[in-house]
Amino acid sequence: MHELSMANSMVEAILDTAKKNDAIKINEAVFEVGELTMLNPEQLKFMMDVLREGTIFEDAEIIINMIPVVIECESCGFKGETKMDDNMDHLMSVAKCPECDNTRVHIIQGQECNIKTIKIEREDEDA
Amino acid sequence: MHNVASIEIEQDIIQANDKLAYGNRQKFDENNVFAVDLVGAVGSGKTSLLETLIDEMDDDIGVIAGDILSKFDAKRIEEKNVPVKGLNTGKECHLDAHLIEHAIPEVPLEDISILFIENVGNLICPADFNLGAHVRTVIISVTEGDDTAEKHPMIFKGADMAIVNKVDLAEAVGADADKMVNDIKTINPDIPVVKCSLKTGEGVQEIIDLYKKFQNQ
Ligand SMILES: Nc1nc2c(ncn2[C@@H]2O[C@H](COP(=O)(O)OP(=O)(O)OP(=O)(O)O)[C@@H](O)[C@H]2O)c(=O)[nH]1
Ligand SMILES: [Mg+2]
Ligand SMILES: [Zn+2]
Repeated sequence: MHELSMANSMVEAILDTAKKNDAIKINEAVFEVGELTMLNPEQLKFMMDVLREGTIFEDAEIIINMIPVVIECESCGFKGETKMDDNMDHLMSVAKCPECDNTRVHIIQGQECNIKTIKIEREDEDA
Repeated sequence: MHNVASIEIEQDIIQANDKLAYGNRQKFDENNVFAVDLVGAVGSGKTSLLETLIDEMDDDIGVIAGDILSKFDAKRIEEKNVPVKGLNTGKECHLDAHLIEHAIPEVPLEDISILFIENVGNLICPADFNLGAHVRTVIISVTEGDDTAEKHPMIFKGADMAIVNKVDLAEAVGADADKMVNDIKTINPDIPVVKCSLKTGEGVQEIIDLYKKFQNQ
């Protein structure tokens, strides 16, 4: 479980960016997390809640968008999302091409943990 | 009144780790050190493998031993009289490139030709974190059950070689070592997989030959 260290890096990066942009409050933060990362979004949120207490990030809405797995098949050239099979560990779907069953596939999406954007408030320049 | 603004950050935490890993790789290369990231389940035989390789390989070996709290593994390696840096990860379940970056100055890279990094016993979390090593070896053992590989495909997907250890115990625990090898081959058809017993010595030479081959690539 490394949600804590990830959440820590994320909160740090956000507060850092907010400060550089003279924010007095952060209203929203948007994240993208790949389905293949070993990160649980609920835990990530929980950890961030602990870490952002007492900061200008405290009341912001946190939006975590999960990014589906995209693979490319060496054999038939298939490029796209993987099939989820209820009988199969969802991670196992990275191993096989859904079109031709070949196992020489490359993961091209689904491993990211990205801070996309934040919405901030600043003092009005001419106030 | 306050004005609101939307700010792009576009910062990938995993890529940030990759960047540090690249820096580590450069340090290894500058010193002609071949670095191996050794990951595996708790108790699968990581430290035992290092002890065996230190005895059996001609190379000058150095070790970074990651452990959550203790320094037991580092002590075992110390007894072999090779340079070792014990790394406590605190509560962390994996090593990351940043921890390695800080450990590197404490390893005499100029005196060694191979650096083994024993990762924290865990088949899940290290999958997300590249350390900058040239090769990642995953070691699992039959005592964890012969469905271990299929339960943890991501760690094998990102590996360069795999070891199925403790085959001497396969019968006793009713595990099918060949199934484990086949599962790994299904997940990652391109990597070599060695069946091994660090107790009987089976497969050890094959592992050494693989490291030699990787080193010369
Ligand atoms: N029978 C048998 N026992 C083995 C073999 N390899 C290792 N062991 C034993 O398994 C136990 C754990 O081995 P370690 O080398 O400490 O495993 P590890 O992966 O370093 O463990 P952690 O660092 O705690 O995760 C020890 O008691 C070893 O003697 C093997 O091939 N056969
Ligand atoms: Mg160990
Ligand atoms: Zn295909």
